[in-house]
Amino acid sequence: MSDPYGSDPFRRSHRDRSEIGRDALDELAPLRPLGIWDVVGRTRAALGLRPLTAPALVFVPLGALAGPYGAGIVSHDALGSLYPVMSVALAALGIFVGAALRLGTADDRRLLAVGSLEALITIGVVAGVCLWLFRAWGLQLEGPWSIALVLGLCASATSAGVARPEDPLHHQTAMRIADLDDVLPIALGGIVLAMVTADTTPMVATLAALNVGVALLIAAAGWLLFGWTHDPDQRTVFVVGIVALLGGSAAYLGVSPLLAGMVAGIVWRHAPGGVDAIIGLDLRRLQHPLVVLLLIFAGASAQPNLLAVWIGSAYVLARLSGKMLGGWVISRATPTISPADLGSYLLPPGVIGLGFALSFHLVAFSPGSASVLTAVAVGTLVSEVLAALALLGPREES
Amino acid sequence: MRRLIALALLVTAAVLVRRTMALDAAADLRDTALAFGFALIAAALAGEIFERMRLPRISGYLVFGIACGPYAGDLISRSMAVDLQQVNGLAIALIAFVAGLEMNLARLRETIGAISRLGAAVLGGSLLLFSVLLLAGWSFLPLPEVPSLAERAVIAVILALLVVSFSPTVSLAVIAESRARGPLTDLVLPLVILADLVLIVLFALLLQAARAVSGAAHEGDVGLVALLSWELLGSLAFGGLMGAAFAIYLRHVGREVTLVLLGLCVVLAGVGQALHFEIVLASLTAGLVVENIAPPEGDALKHAVERGALPVLIVFFVAAGASLQLDVLAEVGLVALVLAIARGGALWATSRAGLAWSGLPAEPGRLVWNGLVSQGGVTLGLASLVATEFASWGPPAYTLVIALTALHVLAGPVMFRKALADAGEVGKDE
Repeated sequence: MSDPYGSDPFRRSHRDRSEIGRDALDELAPLRPLGIWDVVGRTRAALGLRPLTAPALVFVPLGALAGPYGAGIVSHDALGSLYPVMSVALAALGIFVGAALRLGTADDRRLLAVGSLEALITIGVVAGVCLWLFRAWGLQLEGPWSIALVLGLCASATSAGVARPEDPLHHQTAMRIADLDDVLPIALGGIVLAMVTADTTPMVATLAALNVGVALLIAAAGWLLFGWTHDPDQRTVFVVGIVALLGGSAAYLGVSPLLAGMVAGIVWRHAPGGVDAIIGLDLRRLQHPLVVLLLIFAGASAQPNLLAVWIGSAYVLARLSGKMLGGWVISRATPTISPADLGSYLLPPGVIGLGFALSFHLVAFSPGSASVLTAVAVGTLVSEVLAALALLGPREES
Repeated sequence: MRRLIALALLVTAAVLVRRTMALDAAADLRDTALAFGFALIAAALAGEIFERMRLPRISGYLVFGIACGPYAGDLISRSMAVDLQQVNGLAIALIAFVAGLEMNLARLRETIGAISRLGAAVLGGSLLLFSVLLLAGWSFLPLPEVPSLAERAVIAVILALLVVSFSPTVSLAVIAESRARGPLTDLVLPLVILADLVLIVLFALLLQAARAVSGAAHEGDVGLVALLSWELLGSLAFGGLMGAAFAIYLRHVGREVTLVLLGLCVVLAGVGQALHFEIVLASLTAGLVVENIAPPEGDALKHAVERGALPVLIVFFVAAGASLQLDVLAEVGLVALVLAIARGGALWATSRAGLAWSGLPAEPGRLVWNGLVSQGGVTLGLASLVATEFASWGPPAYTLVIALTALHVLAGPVMFRKALADAGEVGKDE
């Protein structure tokens, strides 16, 4: 799906924007990414290299170096105090995913189905391979099924690049599929996290329903608040409060903040009044710091141990296989629109995969969940490198 | 109507979440973001209602905190209220920084002598009045009997200092949220900050005297002056350094100013607390440096302050409201009420006398005492030190101060906002 550093879901909505929405969109123009990326981008472009666009490659190792298992600059206490911020950051990521979800045309729906199928294949392959390897290696894990499933969910996420109108159709389709393959995993993640939190099936169902239901209530309240607030300072208060509520309610219930955010994003995208554009204006101010914080937090939380190395190895191998298989199946099923090497487009993991691992760790908070987070953090770095090697042609990401 | 529906939806969501999953009191920080989000939106709406009633928004936040806090509605639980207080340091730093930005030293130089005389009159007069009053009415106070007259006298002076003490944070917050500008604002702002500094120094000296008369003094106390110098001079140096760094950032980078400003306040509060600096003084100095040495060009900082301050202020005052111990108010409320009325009278009378002595104009000087009524964090902080230090009379004195602060934190902002409105200064800083 759209990496938060990637395409901006809030730049669309030209059809349904209201007066307030127009103001908000007009204000979007001067907002630009962090200055450091400009500098790095310009330097690399001057050297004739691809723009450096994988923030995980920078901030995850930085977090690991600064974290309690590195230099100790970020202590365990500091990490603990950041937990509430992480649930809010995850909810914000979910909002981006939901707000980018276009379902207006038959093509949109078809591509969502294709992206979901590819994600399902990846989840199945990764969960299956990991479970088999855990048994073959004799790893003693608490809840191997849930760990395998979470690894599958983490692996299914893809960082989408930017497709320009002048790009070939195959390239555009590949980018769109990569953009949409997080939706189903986020929904499934809601159920998996409810299963981790609750002991009984009725409680799992209740929590999963509340994950969506409470998000709908908060989204509706947000729509009523943002849509008719003309004071930008007060609007910022409402936006920050609503995102905190989305993340906070999910954290309180022990369910998925990503799902809560995605549900709200979908509601705002389809609600009248251009609310998605309004909230996008304020969220964009928080976007970069939150993502950077999330990556640093993930890196700092990584606990280097043998279990994480084993899980990480299984994860990287299984993800590679899963994405290549998923891409192959989809390109065979839709040969007219998908490129033959679709799998290679789906290799960059982006931030959402780490978000899944982080959600799991925040809910489970066990040695196993810490190992999963470590494994996914390392797997993300390796997958980014593999993706860079696999994509030899020019492929610009935002 | 839409706002009410939105609020109803949010309350429903909060109740649903809290009923489904009951976290124990010692739970982790899972409820922090929920409390933060709920408090932010619902209190903002409450503040809006208060503003329509021509009352300060911060009173709305406080009342909301009380109504939803653990002593009333319990929508914000005790642990949530404690979690919300995490923002306190940041809020205090931000409010003081904004105050520093408002203080132009060139303008202040002409009036600082007169303001100091006014402050001396108010502080000295009120302290003297309350010391005598408390000593004379000792038997009416909910305090244990103290046989030694010398010890009782020192305790009475310490209590008088606690009763008289002001809250620069609340007064500055009222000015900030009212967007007030004018002679009364210019008078109250330095007066309340100077008085706060003098009170802290006086308190440290009195504490030392109390230790001596109660036989609790120990060897480490000889370093008190050094400690005080470290606290005050260190705060000035640290704040100046941070202010200079921020001014350079504004001038040469100038991007993501809201976030960098909040980051600056986090550093001022966090590092300041760790190094035992006075957060208000350090942050005020930082603001002073930015405003007076390297004033920013354009409106980037102004917009950043407006954007960043509101959410922080809201959560700060909701946390304050939710933490107000209403049960204590019921326990010693009557004595506290009498003391509060006496305090108001003392502030009014001494400020009148001080105005005459200082030569400041009677208009809007006669309204200045309204800006001194609020009490808050400083008072409670000093009282908690007393409670920890003196086992016999400290805890009951602390209880009395809590009740007194509760009354003043509710009445103070309303009175000051009204005074600012009467002086025609509300909304002049748009």
